[in-house]
Amino acid sequence: MSTRFLILFIGLGVLRAPAAEAPQARLDEKHRAFFKDYCVGCHNAEKQKGKLRLDDISFGIGTIENAERWQKILNALNSGEMPPEDETQPEKARKTEFLDDLAGTLVIARKVLGDAGGQIAMRRLNRREYKNTIRDLLGVEIDVRDLPADGGTGSFDTVGASLFMSGDQIEQYLTLGRRALDEHFARAAMSEETFKARTEAEVLGNQRMNNNLKRLKDGHEQYARWMAAVEEAAKLPENSKLAAELRESTKIPSMNPYDGRRVGLLFNNKWEVLKGAPAPQSFGLGDAETARVQELEHIYQLQYFTDYMKLPARDTGAWLGFYFAYRETYVAADAKWPPGRYTLRMRVAANEAAPRERRFIEIGQRTPDPKDVTTFSVFGAHQVTATLERPQLIELQVNVGTDSFREFALREKRPNSRTAEMGLFHDHFAQTGTGPDPAVWVDWFEIEGPHDAPRAVTSFVPRTQDRDGVREVIGRFATRAFRGKAPDAEFIDRLVPLAEARREAGDSLEDALKEPLSVVLASPGFLYLNEPASEKGPRRLDGPELASRLSYFLWSAPPDDELLVLAQRGELHQPAVLTAQVDRMIADARADEFVSGFAHQWLGLDRLDFFQFDFRLHRAFDDSAKAAAREEVYQTLATLLRENLPLHRLIKSDFVVINGLLADYYGLDDVSGDAFRKVALPAGSPRGGLLGMAAILAMGGNGKHTSPVERGAWVLRKLLHDPPPPAPPNVPQLARLDAKPLTARERILAHQEEPQCASCHRKIDPIGFGLENFDAAGKWRTEDHFEKGAVRKTWPIDAAAAFHNGPAFKDYFELRDIIAVRANTFARSFTEALIEYALGRPFGFTDEDLATAIIDRARQQDLSIRQFIHALVSSEAFHMK
Amino acid sequence: MKSSPLTRRHFLKTAGTVVALPALESIGFRRFASAAPLMARPKRAVFLGFGWGVTEESWYPDAKVTGADYKLPPGLAPLARHQRDFTLVQGLTNKFANEAHWGSTFWLTGANRFAEPGQSFHNTISADQVAAEALGKDTRFTSIQLGSPDAVGNGHGPGLSLAWDRRGKPMAALDNPVLAYHRLFSDETMPLEQRQAVLAQKRSVLDAVRADAKRVQRGLNKTDTDKLDEYFQGVRDIETRLSKDEQWLNVPKPKVPLAEPKPGLAGRDEIALMYDLIVAALQTDATRVITYRQPVGSLLSSLDLKIAAHDMSHYTTGDRLEASQKRDVAQSTLFAGLLDKLKAVKEPDGTSLFDHTALAYGSNIRTSHYLDNCPTILAGGGASVRLGQHLVLPRNTPLCDAWLTMLHGLDIPAERHGDSTGVVKELQA
Repeated sequence: MSTRFLILFIGLGVLRAPAAEAPQARLDEKHRAFFKDYCVGCHNAEKQKGKLRLDDISFGIGTIENAERWQKILNALNSGEMPPEDETQPEKARKTEFLDDLAGTLVIARKVLGDAGGQIAMRRLNRREYKNTIRDLLGVEIDVRDLPADGGTGSFDTVGASLFMSGDQIEQYLTLGRRALDEHFARAAMSEETFKARTEAEVLGNQRMNNNLKRLKDGHEQYARWMAAVEEAAKLPENSKLAAELRESTKIPSMNPYDGRRVGLLFNNKWEVLKGAPAPQSFGLGDAETARVQELEHIYQLQYFTDYMKLPARDTGAWLGFYFAYRETYVAADAKWPPGRYTLRMRVAANEAAPRERRFIEIGQRTPDPKDVTTFSVFGAHQVTATLERPQLIELQVNVGTDSFREFALREKRPNSRTAEMGLFHDHFAQTGTGPDPAVWVDWFEIEGPHDAPRAVTSFVPRTQDRDGVREVIGRFATRAFRGKAPDAEFIDRLVPLAEARREAGDSLEDALKEPLSVVLASPGFLYLNEPASEKGPRRLDGPELASRLSYFLWSAPPDDELLVLAQRGELHQPAVLTAQVDRMIADARADEFVSGFAHQWLGLDRLDFFQFDFRLHRAFDDSAKAAAREEVYQTLATLLRENLPLHRLIKSDFVVINGLLADYYGLDDVSGDAFRKVALPAGSPRGGLLGMAAILAMGGNGKHTSPVERGAWVLRKLLHDPPPPAPPNVPQLARLDAKPLTARERILAHQEEPQCASCHRKIDPIGFGLENFDAAGKWRTEDHFEKGAVRKTWPIDAAAAFHNGPAFKDYFELRDIIAVRANTFARSFTEALIEYALGRPFGFTDEDLATAIIDRARQQDLSIRQFIHALVSSEAFHMK
Repeated sequence: MKSSPLTRRHFLKTAGTVVALPALESIGFRRFASAAPLMARPKRAVFLGFGWGVTEESWYPDAKVTGADYKLPPGLAPLARHQRDFTLVQGLTNKFANEAHWGSTFWLTGANRFAEPGQSFHNTISADQVAAEALGKDTRFTSIQLGSPDAVGNGHGPGLSLAWDRRGKPMAALDNPVLAYHRLFSDETMPLEQRQAVLAQKRSVLDAVRADAKRVQRGLNKTDTDKLDEYFQGVRDIETRLSKDEQWLNVPKPKVPLAEPKPGLAGRDEIALMYDLIVAALQTDATRVITYRQPVGSLLSSLDLKIAAHDMSHYTTGDRLEASQKRDVAQSTLFAGLLDKLKAVKEPDGTSLFDHTALAYGSNIRTSHYLDNCPTILAGGGASVRLGQHLVLPRNTPLCDAWLTMLHGLDIPAERHGDSTGVVKELQA
């Protein structure tokens, strides 16, 4: 920031007076000389080349027009268009400095010009909040994936200015609201009765494996008889020459498991050329191609299936395999059972001889299409620690909707694609001649429920069956749906006839009511967090408004009864009450919504889903591991929040919050099971803090290789509060280096040859180099390699580098220490994000004082995360509209 | 279905396809149901956007060889049979575009993201919506926006489709072919009176939510009033749609020679199917304006290319360049197939659907992070564009000049569009 000027005229009472003089971004005067040397010569008052005059341009960028002019200058320099080739070129270092400052100043200018002046725009509920609000109101979980995704312009999904509304969406709210009401009433009418279905795994398991084996053997026998007959024909004198040629041409070059076409299937596709050879069909086979595939299956799977039959405990359960073996067990909720929360329960054991990282089961769902054997949505993995002697029970809760798919699947945890599954099988086959030994055994798999909704459901049943009853229940529902604000009589007047029309059409009272109630759920009073404001200036929020702002901040959900009662009594504003409520809310499980919603967006975790991880290079980083890695970020933040620990534990910490799966992944001993918990780290561990988390490291790559650039930029953006400007358009592409055996570092250093690249990359890249000891899936490594055809080069990782104009570090640990010392810049980054998320507007220059005040207060308690929240909630800004 | 005068339809047998037209006496067809001159066939417009640009070395023809006799580079080779029927334009740019990963957000609008003080995002109406205001009056659907569930990380940038409405707000897309198929072609099974009752009920619903919106509106400041105005506008949009539904109540949706699509298609098959739906929608005159924001990442997966779309866009020699080029060829092949189909559908006057459709095919991103010389192909006879040429315009000619030219060709006398400076004379036949 030292060379960029930002003049802030912010008075002390800024929170009350958002109309304080606008700050202005200004390019440092020291660049005047550069400008004069390379631009003004052609673009001046007399000589306006390209009709452009630059001698009079202001270095203060205070208007949109001026920002556009500077943007053009930046673009022309970046694209190499200016200065023209035949003119004197600036030396690289000077150009780099100029580009660096200009790009940075423009970012500030855009921020200042786009500053909403502290105004909080009214906003609708985002997808998460809508889902949670329906859940708290009606006690049902609905699938909101049909609603358009929120945000997208780089802000949080709580920022009103980027949450839009359209006719399509209003119709979707009507449909979704109706679906939720259907389910609500179905559950309200539900008897106490619970239902249960159990799958005994051995029934289908043995059946499938017996069939498999019989099919293989029979097929092989048919194939052998056919081949013998073909061989007979080959012996005929008129065929001898042809047969010899065929034998030569189908000689097996290798046992390459990926190319079944060449695996010892003599004559197979050429049998017809041999005179007198019989057709495969006459031996009960299909055509030659089908017969060939069948024979290949025999080659690959006979041993695997035969071994399976020798496994223990097949009379009481089934082992789960790969490929075409018995690989998944299913259980389904009957279509007639009511919707609700159900328990999935399974009795399982692990094969002690299997590697630890394979002793996990995975729960998920296929699609309703029985032909689709590839799609599998993973819910999560569960560690199996028990053995056959004493199998264990695993339980989890799932939601069954009115029209959701009701079948659940259980399998061994594995990379989530059919290609990967087959690839892994073949890799194993190539080495051992059979598939991998099964790792998990299932006795049975059951589903039971429904159980009560997680929180009590208020029932919206009319007290009387007549018009008044209808009117009363609609009013009661709307007031609750509007979070304590009463609807207008006119609104209710228009809703009552909707129910009446349905009754006249023959609907039951309950069905008829769903019509007006679903309209309530598509009305602005429900969909918008509306806080009237006067043009005269900011005003204080009333009780219910404050309750909503608080609950949508910390729960992404509506206020509960306790908050609403305090709000109605006018007590919520009292500092002691407010503090106690914030503590209560943080302790509540609903605060997990804040943690995940905030952390996901703040840290940019969506990038984790941008690519598939290469299953050969990163076998263990499958969908379950990815989900656990993401959960580690949330659980760590939640632990710090609930245990009142300091923010800088997110940079360096002597403990991690992990489960058994991640402990295996990180190579930490003595942690097993699915629950996340605090685990102390051994001395010298690279884990502990965001930089050592698999999720963060995996985002800094492409699923195959690491990207020091992504990682470096992420650290600058999130930890060091020095975000690089957005990737500029039209910068000439680097010299093409891809096929050359360069180390990752050599490759990236090429970035710094050109000033257009160097201006940012000199800051970004060194940090990325410091993290090179982590591979693309976040595992620790000490060497890296390049491989292209026959060219292979291996080199030890060198994580030493130096910050641009800053300290040098010799390895990852020193890099982390340097970043940890800068806890204040991290606090700033966190605070700005928190303000934006909580207030629902982009962090602006009008918020600078607020951010400082929050950090100062948190600092009094060692930057405890909870204090940041208390400070923000008790700030003036949080109480104002 | 029971045959009544209202539902009787006229079947035309052409080129081996059975085409059913809505009742000729129905609204919208009156115009050309009588002995209308050939010129009166309705004009249609289709915009196809493909996010992450192209491989510039192998997609653009040699800029020195312009006119009709230019050589198609490998990236466009699959389009060879149509070379006389499209024009490739070089030199077009959206001058305000600065976002290196946003290939679609401003592609059809030419807007300046930062034009609005106090806002960090701003957009304006897209060219397709300008066209829809004029061309969409007489069809069941004013316009149709198609998209893909695979949109994130595909180089499209913010937005829900290629389309932005009159107020610069994003318009939703039908993101999956099955949904699009049913919206366009599936008939309500409900009897007529019941459907009329449903329409009446829907109107009452809108009146009710509007009543609540008025309550919420009380005491809002200007910003919030603007925000809530999106809701009011949404209600008005539904009303407009209901009025159209009412006009079309008696007209069954057209039968199309397409089976209900299989769910779960992704990438190449998904695009091919969406193209089929586009042809069917135009052929049956369900709509005359369509945009399609195409998937890129799933296209790569479906070509068995294991590389993330963004990485591919930053191709260097090797795998990434190869993937980028395969992507070009796959996209060109699909596009060529679309042109084949449009040519194969004959109109009642003997011309083809292609002759009356204006197609624009491109992206705001050229390649990698380059936003100038946007890849642009114009095809079809709908906008009277001079086809069959390779046109190299002066550098940084506004892309919106091309959209304005298209709009004029579609008989829409817009004065300007986005940052346009005038029509491109060389494009006018």
